[in-house]
Amino acid sequence: MLEEKQVEREDEELIRRMASRDGDALDVFYTRYNRVAFGLVFRILGNREDAEDVLTDVFWQVWQQSARYDSSRGKPVAWLLTIARTRAIDRLRSSGRKQMHTASLNEQKEPAASGSVGTDPFVAADTREVVQSALQSLGEQQRIPLEMAYFQGMSHTEIAAALGQPLGTVKDRIRTGMMHLKKRLKAYL
Amino acid sequence: MKHTQITDDLQERASLYAAGAMSESERLEYARHLDEDECVVCRSEVNDLQSAVSLIAFNLPPQSPSPNVKARLIEQARRTAPVPPPFPQARPGFGWLQWVTAGIAVASIAVAFAVIRSNNELRRMTDELNGRIAQLEVQLTQERTSIAMLTSAGVRVVDLAGQGSQVQASGRIFWDEARKRWFVFFRDLPPVPADKSYQLWFVPKSGPPVSAAVFNTNSNGSLGIEIPVPDSVTDLKAAAVTTEPAGGLPAPSGAFALLGAM
Repeated sequence: MLEEKQVEREDEELIRRMASRDGDALDVFYTRYNRVAFGLVFRILGNREDAEDVLTDVFWQVWQQSARYDSSRGKPVAWLLTIARTRAIDRLRSSGRKQMHTASLNEQKEPAASGSVGTDPFVAADTREVVQSALQSLGEQQRIPLEMAYFQGMSHTEIAAALGQPLGTVKDRIRTGMMHLKKRLKAYL
Repeated sequence: MKHTQITDDLQERASLYAAGAMSESERLEYARHLDEDECVVCRSEVNDLQSAVSLIAFNLPPQSPSPNVKARLIEQARRTAPVPPPFPQARPGFGWLQWVTAGIAVASIAVAFAVIRSNNELRRMTDELNGRIAQLEVQLTQERTSIAMLTSAGVRVVDLAGQGSQVQASGRIFWDEARKRWFVFFRDLPPVPADKSYQLWFVPKSGPPVSAAVFNTNSNGSLGIEIPVPDSVTDLKAAAVTTEPAGGLPAPSGAFALLGAM
């Protein structure tokens, strides 16, 4: 497995090369992250054809905006996945569809063995384990509104209405949940 | 306005933004605050939270898209990559005509390169405009729905009048009793500092006030919010807005900013 910092440095170099219109760099970056990005987009849209369209748009946007990437705004992979989530939610809203299947932050209940089917060789095993642990330790009161916001693109007002909870409560629970994730994943930020 | 230190209220806004839980108008305003105000405090918080929440993707089962997705993408990228101009080859007897021809070839490639770059820029602008159109269409649909709802027969209107030092401010509640929702709009209510919040209260005829929402207005003193009216809130005599410490309190403690009788 590649070290996290080494991966981050390599990713930043790939972004710089893409800014110089190096198609090989896009090839490498895509190979590295297409599965995790597609997994997120597919989770949100639930439709393979739409997810592939959005995935193309996501990496095309990365290619087009590589010159504008600013490392002070976060790691390249966080930038990529933020674009992926935004594009997927935009497609979900513009198609007028609601996400039909229940979303869960904690998809992978059991830790995946390194190298087994369903794992990604560019994602360190300890990263997956730490993320899984952080999500499992999230209380349901925080997890549910976070899922509704992140995977379904619902606003805090919509979440409060759907759950029949006061708006202030929903906002506070989203804040608490995000602070929990930030604290537990601090080493990977 | 740039903030000088992180507070619970600012953490909440950064969390809502990073989680994607803001309304569209809130999101645009917050993005403006990050980009135009260049608020380092909020940007730092958002960076950390976006990085943290993006890691959720690593806990999802990785999925493999079709191979032709990559093939199309790489082909499209390679077509837009700059083509290095060829250098004219020196040959015995390479006369002035060959130099002129080579020069024309180099100039043509440079022009083609400029056209390709221009096309790339146009394509980027088109992508951005299409994205913006999609956003506006969604927003338009939502606003048409809101207008239809607000003007329907079953909606009660309650005006809020400015109080004390906020005498210039006003508010209006559109109370959809059937759907148990308030649509509240504020005007000329100046935003409070980062250590304060406005708090909207349901004021029943008997019993203590119940918190309805904690908010702050935009830089121009306006805001529109939609809040559910819980089943437990009945027989209201008034609605009120007070100024409270950031994040609000279980019971009103501060001065009235707005008040309206039901």
